Order: sequence, then C-alpha cells, then structure tokens
Amino acid sequence: MTLLKKSKIRRASAVYSEDRAAAFDPSRVQEAMAIWAAGRSRSVFAPLIETFGLLVKDRMAVVGMAIIATLAVVGILGPLIVPLPPFQALKAPDGTMLRLAEPSAAHPFGTDYFAHSVLSQFILGIRIAFLVGLSAAVAVGLISTVLGLVSGYFGGYLDDAIMRIVDIALSIPTLPFAIIMVAVLGPSLENVLFVIVLLYWRNGARIVRSAVLTQKERPFIAAARALGASHWRIMTYHILPNVLPVAFLWMTMSIAFAVLTEASLSFIGLGDPSMASWGQMLNLAFQTASIRSAWWWVLPPSLGLILLISSIYFIGRAFEEKTNPRLRQRAA
Amino acid sequence: MRVYLARRIIQSIIVVFVMVTLMFVIFRIIPSDPTAMLVERGMPEETRQRLLEQWGLTGPLYVQYVRYLTNLFQGDFGLSFFYSKPVWEILAPKVLNTLWIAIPGLLLGATFGSVLGMFVGWSRRGGAIDGLGILLATVIRGAPPFVTGILALMVFSGFFDLLPGFGMRTPGANPSGFAATYLNGDFLQHLILPVAVVALTFIPENLLLMRTGVLEARGEDYLEMVRAKGVSEFRVMWHAGRNSLLPVITWLFPSLAETVAGIVLVEVVFSWPGVGRELVFSVTRQDMPIAQAGFFLLAVMIVASNLLADLVYSYLDPRVVYK
Repeated sequence: MTLLKKSKIRRASAVYSEDRAAAFDPSRVQEAMAIWAAGRSRSVFAPLIETFGLLVKDRMAVVGMAIIATLAVVGILGPLIVPLPPFQALKAPDGTMLRLAEPSAAHPFGTDYFAHSVLSQFILGIRIAFLVGLSAAVAVGLISTVLGLVSGYFGGYLDDAIMRIVDIALSIPTLPFAIIMVAVLGPSLENVLFVIVLLYWRNGARIVRSAVLTQKERPFIAAARALGASHWRIMTYHILPNVLPVAFLWMTMSIAFAVLTEASLSFIGLGDPSMASWGQMLNLAFQTASIRSAWWWVLPPSLGLILLISSIYFIGRAFEEKTNPRLRQRAA
Repeated sequence: MRVYLARRIIQSIIVVFVMVTLMFVIFRIIPSDPTAMLVERGMPEETRQRLLEQWGLTGPLYVQYVRYLTNLFQGDFGLSFFYSKPVWEILAPKVLNTLWIAIPGLLLGATFGSVLGMFVGWSRRGGAIDGLGILLATVIRGAPPFVTGILALMVFSGFFDLLPGFGMRTPGANPSGFAATYLNGDFLQHLILPVAVVALTFIPENLLLMRTGVLEARGEDYLEMVRAKGVSEFRVMWHAGRNSLLPVITWLFPSLAETVAGIVLVEVVFSWPGVGRELVFSVTRQDMPIAQAGFFLLAVMIVASNLLADLVYSYLDPRVVYK
C-alpha cells in the first residue's frame, strides 16, 4: 500500500462514498486498493499474450499461422528468388510469344495468355493480398475498438445510437454494396479499402462492445473507480487490455474478409487496374476463356486465396473453441 | 406477441427507409456529377434534359429526394438505359432464375451440413472424425464461392467434359412455356454445377453450427434420460441433433438473403442469367436504374428474411420471451 499517496486514498474514498453514500464501508476501500495493487504488476498486453498461448495449443491454428508465415516470407523474398518481372512478355526460343505455355523448368508455373510468368504474378499477388488485408484490418480494428469501447463503457443514449447504426449497417447486402460503391467511386485501391472498412467495422464494433460489457461490471473496475480513476484511464488501462484479444481476433478475421472482398471485386473487373491481385489473375483467365484448359494459370491464385483465407479461419475457430466456456466444460 | 411483432415490423420499415436514403446518397450525391452516371455521354442536349427530368434530377436536392421517394414507393424505378424497358420487366425473370439456384443450393447445403455436423459433433472430441470435419468445413468456408465455381468448371466442364457450365440451356435452344423451359434434362444438367457450388458454400456454416449444438447438448440430462430408456446410441444422437436444429433453422432465413447477395459471383462464373449477374452487368454498362433496383431488391430481401427469422425463432423456441 506504500504505492498510494494519502491524498489519493482520501480522494478514492470520497468518490466511493459518493457512489455508495448510504452504505459506506471502509473495509471495501481497502479491498479495492488490494485489487488495484494486484492488477498493477500485469502488463497491458498480458491478456493478449495469454490468449496467444491458448491458440498455440490448437494444432490447426498453428498450421494456419505457419501457412500465413510461409506466404509472408515468399511474398517478401519472392522477387529475390524469382527476379522475372511479372509483366514482362516472355518469348519462346523461336521468337514467338510464349502464350499459355505449360509449366516447364524455365517457368515452373507456366505462362498466361499474355505471355507473362504466372509464378512472378502469383508472388506479386501475395504482396497485394497482404497489403490489402493488413491495411484494411488495421483500420477496421481501430474503428471497431474505439466505437465498441465507447459504446459499451458509457452505455445510455450513445450506446443506443451507435448500436442502432450498427443494426442498420448489418442489413446492407455486403457484396452488392461493395460492387455499387466501387463502381460509383471508381476502381482504385483506396476506394476498395474504403468500402471494405465501411463494411466490416459494424460486426467488430458489436463484438468489442459485448466484450466491454462483460468487463465493465467486474469488481476491479469498481475498485478503480473508487480510487478516482478517470473514464479515460479505466477505458484504456483496465478495460482495453482485456478486450484486446477479441479486438485482435476481429482484426485477424478482417484480413480474410478484406482479401475475399478485394478478390471478388477484382474478379468482376472492379479492382485497382494497377494492382495485379489474385482476383485479377482469375478475372483475366476467365475473360480469355482459359479456365477450362490453363490449369497452371487458374490453380495458383485459387489455391493462394483458399490457403490464406482458411488459415485465418483456422485461427478464428481455435479462438472461439478455446474461449467458449460452454464448449470448454465438456472438453473432458 | 403482438407488441413484439409490431415493434419488429416498425424497425424493419425504418431500416428499409434508411437503405433507400443510402441509395440516394450513393447514386446522386457521392458522384461529383450524378448526371454523368445516369445519362450517357455524347447524348443530344434535348434528350439529356428529357432523361434528367424523367429521372427527377432537376431542381434542388431535397426536391429530388422527395420525388425519388414518391417514385420508389409507387414501385417506379424508371427505364433501363441499356434495354429501354421498365426495370421491373428486366429484373422479374432474373429473380426467378436466381431463386432456381439459391433455394435448392441452400436447402441441399443445410441438409448435408447439418447431418454431417451431427455426426461430427457426436464423434469423439478432438478425434479423427472431429478433426477432419472441422478441417474440411474451414477449408470450404475459406474458399471464395467464385473460386470454387472456377475450380468446378475447370474440373467437371473442362477436364472431364461431363457437365455444361455456361448459361441455363444449350445455346440455340429457345423453349417457351414453364414446363418446356424448366422441366427438361438440358436445364437440369445446366443446373447441377451452380447448385452444387452454392450448396457447397453453405455446408460449412451448417456443419459448424450443428457440431457446436450437438457438442453442447451431449452433456445434457435429457440425453441421459433417453439413454436410460434403452434406445440405440444412434437414436440418442438423433435426439441431440434434433434439439440442436434451432440455430440452423434461424440461420437459414437470413442466409437465404445472403445467398442471393453472395451468389452474385457464382452467377457470373456460370453465366447464369440471375439478378446478381445483371447487377454486375448494369454496373459495367453504367445502367444505374437497374443497379439501383437490384440493390434495393437485395436489401429488402435481407431485411424481410431477418424479420422472418426472428418470428420463426420466437415461434419455435418456447424459451424466447416476447418483450
């Protein structure tokens, strides 16, 4: 208790007695201070690290993480190993364009209709997928966390207002909305990202809010309040660390949704024309009527999308399994 | 019950109203020059003015908004630029085409998914069947529907040349009448691949929902009771499955609307002339009347099916209390 200054104790008990003017009990203030002191030594990221520890125990989540890490490494190092530019038209030894060439030693993934190397384009696709996924996830994560925290912590009219907006936003048909918005705004990376963020903050805010609600009524929050902590301090120091795992999970899931949405938009020709994403590779293969024959052109982007998105779902599912108490009880 | 019903209906009306306003914002306010989107460039000035008037694009914004609302509530979406026909005349047959693949796909997916989910949930937790079920469900869920469609097309229509994957009937066929159009082998053959892809995309959700339900039900006392009656273990599982159906059923209604919205790309892949493909076409053709009506249709479907889901849920689950 040496951590506390006398003035702080006095202020704390004053606030506490204001709250519970009728039943003021000095021993509860001591109890509150004990909880406060016990919680102090924990790192802000402790809940996040603990959750990660749980996830690592799930075999499928580990496989998912490994796949994502592998893709990331290939995306980063790829251009060093395969120096061929993705948009260089390749020529056969006899001087003709190397269109739709089957995989060979020189071009392990073959070439596409425009005589570009499929392998180089696939690697470029990894980079674009991560660029789109990560930037959308950061924006979605920030907006959901802030709105969820404010909505859940303050409650009342503010909460009602935010949650009604979320309700309405949830009845927007996802893909048609994305198609129309990008068509109206113009197909560019910023607009695609903007639409993705517009679509996925809504679920995130709701999930974070419900996590905040479970924290809000815990004794340590009452203790912090009794000790005179400000709303800002309670939100950022006492509640935020405990809802970080959920917020982080939603960020991870947003990567999958962002990649999926970008791929869908690109597939119908509404992607950024300067971004040769996996969706755009599939669009070109489809437009040139090559999907029935050029399997080496279709499989890499298809499997890339499936691998990346399912890996993220594996992590999300493990999280749900480990944190759903109704499922955990029956584990034995 | 009546109060609950009235409140949910009023809520839904408000949501539709907000959607309509959102559409106004998207189509009239966000584009710097909405007329450029609505009226083709290079059009004679006189025609342009007439079209603008027809579309209610003259006058201040609030006047436009009121006019837009009145037209909408009279069911008037204007003329398509591309077809020069009323929008509903174009979209109505497409709705039917979409439902041809949406409803069978959804029902097949739900049936297969929940039966598989029951077995997976009943198997030993963390065992081989459980692991395989989750693995498959997650990988299928991770596959974007259009990718599944492309792979199906590549394998079944390309490599093995077993099934057609383009449109609703063999090119050249031009049947008339309901029976001749829909109840023949050619149409059914064309139906197989798209329906299979839609069904496949719906298996995972149902499987995982059912697995969780059965898993939660396994420790319940009523199952002990059933077992004590001396019935076979399969019957016990059936009991657990039936009692876990509730989330699957409530999930069905909103997912019908989401299916219709989500199979947009499946329709594109299989060149299936449905609402979704028309929406994509209308966007590339700058045919905004169709795009607007298509979006409105999908939004209303989602709101209506959410409402229906809530009502069905409160009817099926006696534990739900009406407020």
